[in-house]
Amino acid sequence: MAAVDTLATARPRANRTISWLVLAIAIALIVATPFLPNYHVRVLNSLLIYILLGIGLNIVIGYTGLLDLGFVAFYAVGAYSYGLLASPQLGLHMPFLVILLVAACLGAVTGILLGIPVLRLRGDYLAIVTLGFGEIIRIIINNLDWLTGGPQGIARLDKASILGIQIARPIDFFWLLLITVLLVGTVVWRLERSILGKAWAAIREDQDAARGIGINTTNAKLAAFATSATIGSIAGAIFAASQRFVSPESFTLQESVLIVLMIVVGGIGNIFGIVAGAAILILLPELLREFAEWRILFLGLLMISLIIVRPAGIVPRSFGPEKLIRGLFGK
Amino acid sequence: MTLVFQSLRKVYGEVVAIDDVSTAFAPGMIHGVIGPNGAGKSTLINMTAGSYTVSSGSITLDGKRLDKLKKYQIANSGIARTYQNIRLFDQMTAIENLEVCFYPAEVAAAWREVIWPPYANAQRRRRREKCMEILRVFDLQGYADVDARGLPYGRQRMLEIARALVANPRVLLLDEPAAGLNHHETAELTAKLTALRSPDRIMIVVEHDMDLVMTLCDSIIVMHHGKLLFRGTPAEVQASTDVQLAYLGTANDIDDIRAAAQNRRAQLGIRTRRRS
Repeated sequence: MAAVDTLATARPRANRTISWLVLAIAIALIVATPFLPNYHVRVLNSLLIYILLGIGLNIVIGYTGLLDLGFVAFYAVGAYSYGLLASPQLGLHMPFLVILLVAACLGAVTGILLGIPVLRLRGDYLAIVTLGFGEIIRIIINNLDWLTGGPQGIARLDKASILGIQIARPIDFFWLLLITVLLVGTVVWRLERSILGKAWAAIREDQDAARGIGINTTNAKLAAFATSATIGSIAGAIFAASQRFVSPESFTLQESVLIVLMIVVGGIGNIFGIVAGAAILILLPELLREFAEWRILFLGLLMISLIIVRPAGIVPRSFGPEKLIRGLFGK
Repeated sequence: MTLVFQSLRKVYGEVVAIDDVSTAFAPGMIHGVIGPNGAGKSTLINMTAGSYTVSSGSITLDGKRLDKLKKYQIANSGIARTYQNIRLFDQMTAIENLEVCFYPAEVAAAWREVIWPPYANAQRRRRREKCMEILRVFDLQGYADVDARGLPYGRQRMLEIARALVANPRVLLLDEPAAGLNHHETAELTAKLTALRSPDRIMIVVEHDMDLVMTLCDSIIVMHHGKLLFRGTPAEVQASTDVQLAYLGTANDIDDIRAAAQNRRAQLGIRTRRRS
């Protein structure tokens, strides 16, 4: 992998080869998916959901440099939005796209609500408070029986459909998730390259110096929290629709930590890194299923060696979408 | 069109860091601030830039009160600064360090950059060109795409000044710009700073390098124990016996000053804490 680093940054020709290779693998995988058995498609769907979550959380952790350990709360907000608005629980059966919009807005609002009290915190303190926030949301859901069904959760969620096309089979969700990931990924990548993204990076590097050049750090940070939470919430709504069941069990601290790990292992601040991180941390446990308990040990060893060999993540920070496009279409 | 300090005070507990300083800085000039360590030079800069709060008194620019504003608002009022210890955005490239300064002016249109690629490309190109121009002024164009932390120390100092200039500030505050530079680099710095003098810019330089201050500055204020001890041209400062006694000193005087300082500390009963 060290080779990828030097090759991709040093020589355009090598970058071209790698870029085409990445594209070819991605296309092959996408084309092959409809022919895979349902179980495999489900695994890929869960991979895509985690990629979506990773892209969202990366805005706060990777771009803005704020360690958020309560990201799963926004995932839960989105999932329960679908659970409550499209099930017999409240007798509401709203269309999928409307719920997606509601979930996105609710996500943004909760993102800002979490953001305001933690604006002054950084590092460990921020991590602890956000961790608490994630747990608070889960515990509220667990105890608000009359609304959320408590630990039993909400079952028999409506089948999702978009403009009359029913989304029910795993492969339908695969396409929905793929489109969402590409769309969200593009928007986030463009955000990162915009002047707002530059300000996030400046806050990450030196918050006080960022204020010194006129950046309203409060607004910039809240924008990061809100965007990140919106994406988490959208992922939650799609997750709920694909499971047609939600319960608090899906939103434990472990999930938040897993998403953080994905980002760190893959390469912090890089969208491609998230894909790589998710591939390792979601697919590997599935592939190692037959080794039962041993797989956690394997995973642990792998993570330790990765962090020793590539402390900055698998994918070098320089190999982002920009590099890929340049590799594909020349210059 | 001036920057005015009116009865400015900064107090930490019982320690008076800035004691009733009133003065004004005219545009078109380079103002030097000198004084022994702990005299309050950097504190003045930090209060002006909003890094420290003001205990009492006021700071105004063209009659507009600055000391009640937040730090980013002060920056957006046309005050730019550099830091005693270089504070660049380390993991951003040299040119990104400058580009990000367009944030206050352009963040409102950030959403257009996201949804409309041609607009984003045009914006990026424009920002890059403008910043490249500034980098060229400081001979940094060769480092444009290098991470700031990868630049040699002297270049980092230059880059920090370049960053402060992107927003075309009315007031430029330089906190020990020559610290850590060699003779050659200091000479280069002097030339660059001299070239930055402009009729509508107020430049304030805190510096220990007396050669630099005496050649660069049009007017110098001398701080001593938080008070404004003397104000004048470089020649006047050098001729002043007060200043010589307090700062430039002869070998005999230094002991007297030290004794006086110790006395004062004992009076106030303070633990000596390092303050910059």
